[in-house]
Amino acid sequence: MPPAPCHRLSPPARALRALPLLLICAACEGRQSALDPAGEDAAVLLTLFTVMLIGAVILWLAMNGMFYGFTRVHRSQISKTTANSIVIGGGILLPTLLIGALLGWGLSILPDHQKPGDGLRIRVIGEQWWWRVEYWPEGADTPVISANEIRLPAGQRTEFTLTSDRVIHSFWIPALGGKMDMFPGRETTLSLKPEKPGVYRGQCAELCGASHAWMAFEAVVMPPGEFDAWLEQEAAGAQPAEGTEEGRDIFFREGCAACHTIRGTQAQGQVGPDLTHVGSRHSLGAGRLGVTMEEFAAFVTHTEDLKPEVRMPAYDHLSEDERAALAAYLKGLE
Amino acid sequence: MTAENDTEHGQPAEPEKDRELAEFAEERESLLRITFAPLTWALHFVLCYGTVSLACIKGLIPLPYTRAGLIAATGLALALIALIGWRAFVQWDVRRTGDFTNPEGHAEHRHQFLGHAGFLLAIISAIGVIYTGLPLFILASCK
Repeated sequence: MPPAPCHRLSPPARALRALPLLLICAACEGRQSALDPAGEDAAVLLTLFTVMLIGAVILWLAMNGMFYGFTRVHRSQISKTTANSIVIGGGILLPTLLIGALLGWGLSILPDHQKPGDGLRIRVIGEQWWWRVEYWPEGADTPVISANEIRLPAGQRTEFTLTSDRVIHSFWIPALGGKMDMFPGRETTLSLKPEKPGVYRGQCAELCGASHAWMAFEAVVMPPGEFDAWLEQEAAGAQPAEGTEEGRDIFFREGCAACHTIRGTQAQGQVGPDLTHVGSRHSLGAGRLGVTMEEFAAFVTHTEDLKPEVRMPAYDHLSEDERAALAAYLKGLE
Repeated sequence: MTAENDTEHGQPAEPEKDRELAEFAEERESLLRITFAPLTWALHFVLCYGTVSLACIKGLIPLPYTRAGLIAATGLALALIALIGWRAFVQWDVRRTGDFTNPEGHAEHRHQFLGHAGFLLAIISAIGVIYTGLPLFILASCK
């Protein structure tokens, strides 16, 4: 028999073949990984996953070990009693008990998804393909409106009320906890307790149309003091940066205000995301782009290319200078 | 086949036919009987999910009653499955014959095989009912 191709390779080449494995390891880390938890809820889910994974590996090895043993090593006939006990014990009793135990454990941690929060409630409405966000601090009569970004105080449990506009979406920040579906006409709840401050990434986890893959958001976990200061600032009206009047004029001339709200100005549209503090967000177009001036200009000019079937038309008739001025105005809304 | 021919072979036709018919009637019945345990499981499943929906989504039934009633229904379903399973076990008759698999197709084997199948279906149905009922014991609320 000819040697397997792997044996002909030099040792460094063989090591190279193991490189893809490293990629798998690298995928475990990062800001959108359920395997790198930054909160209490995600840690519980990771434990559940780890136990199931280890269990599955043990079962796989035992199954294949037995198969190997009975077909290659111990090939003589085994007694009927032994065979029956293996089938009944390993094939019926063991799975029944294991699945029963996993079911019991799963059920016992299920209510934790909806533990009562410490005061702050965030209402998120799934749109096509972005997120309408309302912050309801304890005792508030009116919400603080934002969009496409979730900010959370570290060490506190925040309640989410989730719903949707037209189709089913699913709200998921893997580093912070489990996902929860968002249904039109129905409200679901979820609560999350992030522990480590940082910027994580959330993603719509239910196929919801052409731009489903581009329906993401940044989840920013902040120390509680910083969060309170941020929320106060977010509640205030827009304070455009100096020297961006030209961009503001273009914004109103082009009718952007028909769809977008910029609190503190005439722009009160409700169709698209609130832009009052769009310049202070970590992403643009619900996680589609970063927030440099160039990216603002690109989003306004190539909307349909960047987010297929989105309702916002592309403003590609604007001149280079006008795009830059509009980008400067939006970027200045901090 | 005529009565004369049968008399020649020493086998009267009518009693033989009656015996076969009676036996097939019995088999027909036990063929039907092996579905009883899975049917109990299915009914219990529909009852649980239906009632919980009415209680949690529509709010038609108070939760403590729902829970107590469904726990009682789970007990009842398990008792019924145990009874069905026991009858099937007796029909299988493995303790007397020592024959697990009944590989031959003659009447007595068919009879015992249906008992065997009914017994195994009762076991899987009991497991199904227990898994369906587990949330009633672990979760106290709709969430």
